Amino acid sequence: MDYVWHFGVIWDYRMVFVRGAWITAQLTLYSTLIGLSLGLLFGLFRSSTIAVLRAPAAVYIEFFRATPVLVQLVWIYYSLPILTGLQLSGIASVSVGLGLHAAAYFAEIFRAGINSIDKGQWDAARSIGMGYGQAMWRIILPQAIRRMVPPFINEFATLIKLTTLGSVLAVYELLHEANNLINNTYRPLEVYTALAVAFAVLIYPIILLSQRLERHWRTNS
Amino acid sequence: MIEVRNLHKYYGALHVLRGMDIDIAKGEVFSVIGPSGSGKSTFLRCLNFLEEYQQGDIRFDGRLVGYRETAGKRLRASPRDIAAVRTRMGMVFQSFNLFPHKTVLENVMEGPVIVQKKPEAVVRKLALDLLEQVGLSDKTDQYPSKLSGGQQQRVGIARALAMQPEVMLFDEPTSALDPELVGEVLDVMKALATGGMTMVIVTHEMSFAREVSDRVMMMDEGLIIEVDRPEVIFGNPQQARTADFLRRVVH
Ligand SMILES: Nc1ncnc2c1ncn2[C@@H]1O[C@H](COP(=O)(O)OP(=O)(O)OP(=O)(O)O)[C@@H](O)[C@H]1O
Ligand SMILES: [Mg+2]
Repeated sequence: MDYVWHFGVIWDYRMVFVRGAWITAQLTLYSTLIGLSLGLLFGLFRSSTIAVLRAPAAVYIEFFRATPVLVQLVWIYYSLPILTGLQLSGIASVSVGLGLHAAAYFAEIFRAGINSIDKGQWDAARSIGMGYGQAMWRIILPQAIRRMVPPFINEFATLIKLTTLGSVLAVYELLHEANNLINNTYRPLEVYTALAVAFAVLIYPIILLSQRLERHWRTNS
Repeated sequence: MIEVRNLHKYYGALHVLRGMDIDIAKGEVFSVIGPSGSGKSTFLRCLNFLEEYQQGDIRFDGRLVGYRETAGKRLRASPRDIAAVRTRMGMVFQSFNLFPHKTVLENVMEGPVIVQKKPEAVVRKLALDLLEQVGLSDKTDQYPSKLSGGQQQRVGIARALAMQPEVMLFDEPTSALDPELVGEVLDVMKALATGGMTMVIVTHEMSFAREVSDRVMMMDEGLIIEVDRPEVIFGNPQQARTADFLRRVVH
């Protein structure tokens, strides 16, 4: 073991990392937005009493949880243009793919949060004349959101990690940039180490926050 | 004011209410007693359509509750009509069901402001008056979790009254309370009864039912066993099942 580390190359090529991180951030943001909005919708459908809403939502959620993300991504990237004529850029494909994937998990978080609220809260809301929407928005969701935030943050952290799959679809996110850099510098050890450290530095505080919030809300309720 | 005709309710295959007929008059204090599982809560929850019923009629001021009839067919009423009936009936729950993320005052104001769309200033005054009436003027800005059970239930009553309902429905309002807190809630209810409020009260507090009720209804297995003045029900019940039940709860 007399490998001589040359972390200097990382500093020399720091802009490559910044560029990659920017794409990673974009992918995370877009897929989170898609995942949250679709997830809320599917979560509400899934806990609905109306079977025509509940059944498709259940199928969607179970399907996306039962298939590998990478398969979902390459399917969207290669099959969607053929089937629909819709040519998506790499970034769009990965955002949509991860978004659809995340929606299944977000939906379950929404559903579990909503179900965790005592049925008596619905009774009380309905007894003062609230409809479903008012009761959900003013009474149920504000209480449920506390229980949803920690798992949301965890899912968000997972999404950041999953963006590395974009490298397979030639999206210039962090991992892809790192691979290119290795082709130029022949320094895989330094580059991959720096990459891992960069992700850890990015994600660990997020996980910490989620744990803190969870503990805080458990002791304050 | 409330007319119930041949009321049947099923939970799946379970036949919970098996044909009930009863009229409740305006200004009447009407208590419901009976063994656990006899359908008392279910009956009460059908009155404001928190539960659907499958057969028979419930009429409130002559209007069918929860359904509309067109060309002989019965369909569910619109959400707006169902909500409208509910705002005319206040409901108080055994487990209080206060909104934990809202203060006492916000709990009381929620219905009139959000559902009835009354001006906030007017509602605030009404809510403060009601909270004074139930003896909680000093708790208006507290959150429910900081209150005792008796105080929470009095907020529950104020919240229901804030809709200015024509009827108040109580489902065992004191059953979840420590014995020493029961009195303060019953006092508030007594004051309401004296004030002429129409009240339907499911209760295990027999001496309270005897004292405040105009009539008492004994239920068992989804059926009305007997309905009469409290002196008769408690003093000289006409049905063996009523006598048996009372003997069991008193001892
Ligand atoms: N949501 C429900 N789903 C299925 N069955 C139910 C439901 N709610 C009540 N039941 C059943 O209906 C019957 C009547 O219940 P209900 O709660 O009306 O009785 P109760 O007279 O209020 O009893 P208690 O004095 O214990 O409150 C019981 O057999 C109960 O198990
Ligand atoms: Mg009951």
